[in-house]
Amino acid sequence: MRFRDRAILVTGASRGIGAAIAKAFAAEGGTVIVNYRQDAEAAEGIAARCRAAGGEALAIAADVTSEEAVAAMAERIGEEVGRLDVVVNNAFAPYRFDPDRRARFPDVPWSAYERQFEGAVRATYHVCRAMLPLLGRSSSASIVNLASDLVTRPSIPYHDYTTAKAALVGFSRNLAAELGPRGIRVNCVAPGLVSPTEASAATKEEVREMLIAQTPLRRLATPEDVAGPVLFLAGPDGAFVTGQVLHVDGGLVMA
Amino acid sequence: MTTFAGHLPGLDREDVSWRRVSYESWGETAEIALPDLTEAQARALCRHVRENARARLKRMDVARIVAAIDGASERLLDRTHPLRREAERMLPVVTGYDRETVRLGLTSYLKTFQRPQLLRFLAEDFADPGMLDGFRPARKGGFVRASGPDLLLHVWAGNVPALSLWSLVCGLLVKAGTVGKLASAEPLTAGWFAGLVAEIDPEIGECLAIVWWKGGEEAGEAAFLAEADTVMAYGGNATLAALRAKIPVTTRFLPHGHRIGFGLVAREALDSRRAMALARLAAKDVVRYEQQGCYSPQMIFVERGGGVAPGEFARYLAHELAALAHRHPRRTLSSGEGASVAAWRGAQEMRATGDAAVLLGAPEDPFSVVHLDAATPLAPTGLNRTLALVSVDSLDEVPALVAPHRAFLQTAAIAAAPAALFRLAESLASVGVSRLAAFGAMASPEPGWHHDGRFSLLDLVTMTEIDQAAEAAAEGFAPYVD
Repeated sequence: MRFRDRAILVTGASRGIGAAIAKAFAAEGGTVIVNYRQDAEAAEGIAARCRAAGGEALAIAADVTSEEAVAAMAERIGEEVGRLDVVVNNAFAPYRFDPDRRARFPDVPWSAYERQFEGAVRATYHVCRAMLPLLGRSSSASIVNLASDLVTRPSIPYHDYTTAKAALVGFSRNLAAELGPRGIRVNCVAPGLVSPTEASAATKEEVREMLIAQTPLRRLATPEDVAGPVLFLAGPDGAFVTGQVLHVDGGLVMA
Repeated sequence: MTTFAGHLPGLDREDVSWRRVSYESWGETAEIALPDLTEAQARALCRHVRENARARLKRMDVARIVAAIDGASERLLDRTHPLRREAERMLPVVTGYDRETVRLGLTSYLKTFQRPQLLRFLAEDFADPGMLDGFRPARKGGFVRASGPDLLLHVWAGNVPALSLWSLVCGLLVKAGTVGKLASAEPLTAGWFAGLVAEIDPEIGECLAIVWWKGGEEAGEAAFLAEADTVMAYGGNATLAALRAKIPVTTRFLPHGHRIGFGLVAREALDSRRAMALARLAAKDVVRYEQQGCYSPQMIFVERGGGVAPGEFARYLAHELAALAHRHPRRTLSSGEGASVAAWRGAQEMRATGDAAVLLGAPEDPFSVVHLDAATPLAPTGLNRTLALVSVDSLDEVPALVAPHRAFLQTAAIAAAPAALFRLAESLASVGVSRLAAFGAMASPEPGWHHDGRFSLLDLVTMTEIDQAAEAAAEGFAPYVD
């Protein structure tokens, strides 16, 4: 029970990777704030599964790209949970990983980059700022941001998405440098293609097989694969690790 | 919500008694209502199908039937079509196979029932498929016509999704009035397909019924068995023997029994690069439908002397099985299935104590691979991802090792250079192997293949010939005779 009496915020936790991370924290006794944007029913379902797994859970709706919504969420966490030890920035702007129909560079408008920056960097920026006061009171505070192995190896050039994730890696390292002296650690987990998730549903078999063929462990990541390394970086086992990017892609990227 | 199975032209749902069966897998449940016809209803349905087939189906051009089957396949290939969505949702719950297996399997299977592939089916068996539509000149002289049975009964078995479509389509292509008996373990796809055909071409829909009866239950079964002109049946030898005993001697009986698949890997396929790719393909063949289909490998013979030794290849294969289980989790095994896996593992462990075997995969893992270092005759495994890998000095030893199972042989996968492929094909053919496949494609036979070495369409038809002499004689009676 590595996270008993610890409170963990997971953004975008109503489905996919976020949901798996939330459940994994709950299974270690944590109190999980299941943040979601729209699907209240799904989020409540994940909260229920967190409780069933042995943790506490609270579902809070908030669009993490909105400063006001995030501030309101921080206030609610302060009132209802009273503490915050871990923030997992998992939410990202809706994106369809469809290698066959991805926009090629001349067709990617600047607005697409902006949208991904909003979803990746701006959301993380707002969440980190709003949660810092709560995190500052914890003796073992940690932030884990979800990046992508595409930053190091753009197997499919999703220009806007990957550029935003690259910026998130830079953002995280800077934050790690600044917050280290305050005892707050900041790391990234960089998964490869994760399946099954809604976002990856359009990725065709051929591409999956191409990635698998080049992956030493011979399969794609599952949402549950991502959860373990997130817990490692967030918890006591990762107490002396900060500013790192941990690739979770079966060895596709070795860095 | 209850899903009603089957397709019963001429019968009202209200007049039929339905047997409700619950299915449960992956944390979900489904209730399916299976039609339980009285003997009178069964006879009336057979008459309806037979009469409509005579009046309508037999008078249609094959091209029209091809168009209807193509249309039904097209709809089920469309992932946004409501029935396709229903199939992707229900079949994992009913059959226990994981969603991805069902989704990929449906697409790969339905692809083979599109118009170009159907034309290939026809061309494979008929030099001139026009003989299904009328008398055509025969090469030997005279004329010839092929006619399917008025009433063809399919008795399906097993839980492989959509497997019933294979024989269903063959029957329709030869214009057979068709009654199909659903397998309780996959009672959905044939009814859906029949419904789509009926929607596209209502006249064909009247010549086609999808029914169910409880295996061995006399009332409904006897009526269907008595009415059919031809019975095509699937299942184990005991089931087939019981069925054969109940069928009138004048009825054609076409049984398709259980099979044991196996593979052969030549040393030239075992270099540092290709061995791993091959292990993945072989693992896919094992995982696809949990070795329940007749095509899947249960034993793979691996030649010594390649860059990768057979024992190492076994380890690669075991890891690929472990990796594939993340995407395609093994379905929950029944207690009987679990017991046969455990019994097989137990037998391998006995062998392993003597150093002659290495068992890979723990009891809790969803797969087991045993590597047997001595040439071992083909033997069935415990199924559900249990595989034996046998070292041999030369693949030429394999035909003798599989020959004792002649009656159960069908598909063998082979990875070897062309000269070895053809040399081994000759000797494997002589011991009863009827299909040599590539690894990774064992469960996807090509359109127009010869199931169990037989002619899928030709076996169903009767040829009617007009002798050359009869034609010549007729000339003598013509009004224009000089």
